[in-house]
Amino acid sequence: MSTMLEMKQVTKTYGDGDTTLAVLRKLDLSVRSGEFVAVLGPSGSGKSTFLSAAGALLTPTSGEIRIDGESLHGKSAQELTELRLRRIGFMFQSAQLLPYLKVEEQLLYVAKQAKLGGREAKERAAVLLQRLGLWERRGHYPEQLSGGEKQRVAIARAWMNKPAILLADEPTASLDLARGREVVQMIAGEVRSEGKAAVMVTHDERMLEWCDRVLHLEDGVLVGR
Amino acid sequence: MFLALREMRHAKARYSLIMVIMLLVSFLVLFVTGLARGLSYANISALENMPAGYFLIQDDAGHAFRRSQLGTEEFAAAKQAAGADNAASLGVQTSTITLDAAEAKTDITFFAVDMEGLLAPKVSEGSSFGNEDHGSAVADAKLKESGVALGSTIRDQASGMAWTVTGFVNDSSYSHVPVVYINNADWQAMKQSAQAGNGSPSSEAPFNVIALKTSSEQAAGLASGLDSVEAITKKQAIASVPGYSAEQSSLQMMIAFLFVISAVVLAVFFYVITIQKTSQFGILKAMGTRTSYLAWSVLCQVLLLSVISVAVSLLLTFGMNMGLPDAMPFQLETPTMVWTGLLFIGVSLLGALISIVRVAKVDALTAIGRAGA
Repeated sequence: MSTMLEMKQVTKTYGDGDTTLAVLRKLDLSVRSGEFVAVLGPSGSGKSTFLSAAGALLTPTSGEIRIDGESLHGKSAQELTELRLRRIGFMFQSAQLLPYLKVEEQLLYVAKQAKLGGREAKERAAVLLQRLGLWERRGHYPEQLSGGEKQRVAIARAWMNKPAILLADEPTASLDLARGREVVQMIAGEVRSEGKAAVMVTHDERMLEWCDRVLHLEDGVLVGR
Repeated sequence: MFLALREMRHAKARYSLIMVIMLLVSFLVLFVTGLARGLSYANISALENMPAGYFLIQDDAGHAFRRSQLGTEEFAAAKQAAGADNAASLGVQTSTITLDAAEAKTDITFFAVDMEGLLAPKVSEGSSFGNEDHGSAVADAKLKESGVALGSTIRDQASGMAWTVTGFVNDSSYSHVPVVYINNADWQAMKQSAQAGNGSPSSEAPFNVIALKTSSEQAAGLASGLDSVEAITKKQAIASVPGYSAEQSSLQMMIAFLFVISAVVLAVFFYVITIQKTSQFGILKAMGTRTSYLAWSVLCQVLLLSVISVAVSLLLTFGMNMGLPDAMPFQLETPTMVWTGLLFIGVSLLGALISIVRVAKVDALTAIGRAGA
């Protein structure tokens, strides 16, 4: 089993001089393939900073981050963009689908960005959409979908380019309990069928049933309970 | 293109609206340009159609033909330097004529030329006449609207002299009035009769300017060899025709403003749309979309909108040109149209730049921890 995400001694401080605020303090995390990790924490505990650092959106003040064995250290902005495109799948709060793309096009768009061929991309999209029960909805615009369906499209989109790891930022925030649990269950299912890993940041403790590990973000470090 | 096209497909109304605005503005640009060209042509087509590139003129005349007086001495020097075929004298006299057949008066400009020389009119209907034929004239075809026909007799109100119209030329106006070509012999007679009144009949009446078909160096050299004579280009001569500059500059200002307006309208529209989509751009960047791709997407939309707008307004302009009455001065040559269209598209793309700067500034980091859509 290979390590999909590794964070070693990651520290992120904001501000300078007298008023430094350390959001992450020597944080360690290792996520292996097939693992679905939940990170819990109240708002303001640094969940967004943690996820941004893991997702190559934010350069930590110190420490090392590796995605699928590849270190983020010293990479240019363009190289990081490329890495996000191919190695990381993102899920955001309230899905964040492009309003003017049909469901299938949402997936084809990210494939196109990664220069994946048309036929191959279509087949991959079909597999994902069928697995997530969205095949009948492939020609619909996001505005015609329910909240749960949107988030399922977001799951499919995140897995489209076969990333090493999926990072989910409060994927259930805009859903009711039943829909939220369904979405989390589907993320877990995809982690297994893709043989990759996922990290979900959430503040909702009712969503943890399918997670392999639950960590709490406290004082800038992750602790298990 | 993937995003650009699909976004436009999805928000048809929004993009159609902006296209209609651009269409109207570009149509107005083309229309006013055509009007400016048409007015210019209706004003000075006689000068514009002259095969001469330079004119020798008195240096204190301020480039205005009618204020200048040149004599045989200068003409002889010009002919010697440029060759007899490449220099021609020109006498200009605005006047009012009466038509014997009708009780109407019309303003015209007499052009006295060598009927076998450089400035000889190119008759399109009827026939020309020789340098020795007294009492013959070739008139601009617009005089037909005043009742002048082949064989009509026109009479100069000031001198009382009469000419028979033997032919017509097309597109020959000076200062918005039709030109009547007469030969130098009649010019002399007309001038002598005018001067007879003040009791000093000179041997030879002067003409106004000398047209040259030479290089600019040759023209300048010739002018510097002559006392108080300068060489001006055809362009300078046209700009000094009374009323020409005032007329053109006001139209040019309108055209310039229209270009600025179209750029600003498009820029503001796309800027507002871009600001609305800031969070979308953040998400796209977080997911690994390159900024260059997003910038190209915006540019594509602007390009598409402006190209379609310009194409449609060109068609409209064509159509309208067909339907316009002849009395309306409107003229648009293909090169002018192409350049105007290209400039319009260029200005539109320039207006898109502020949106592109905005897109480039969006930080992918904003995608995380954002609750709203």
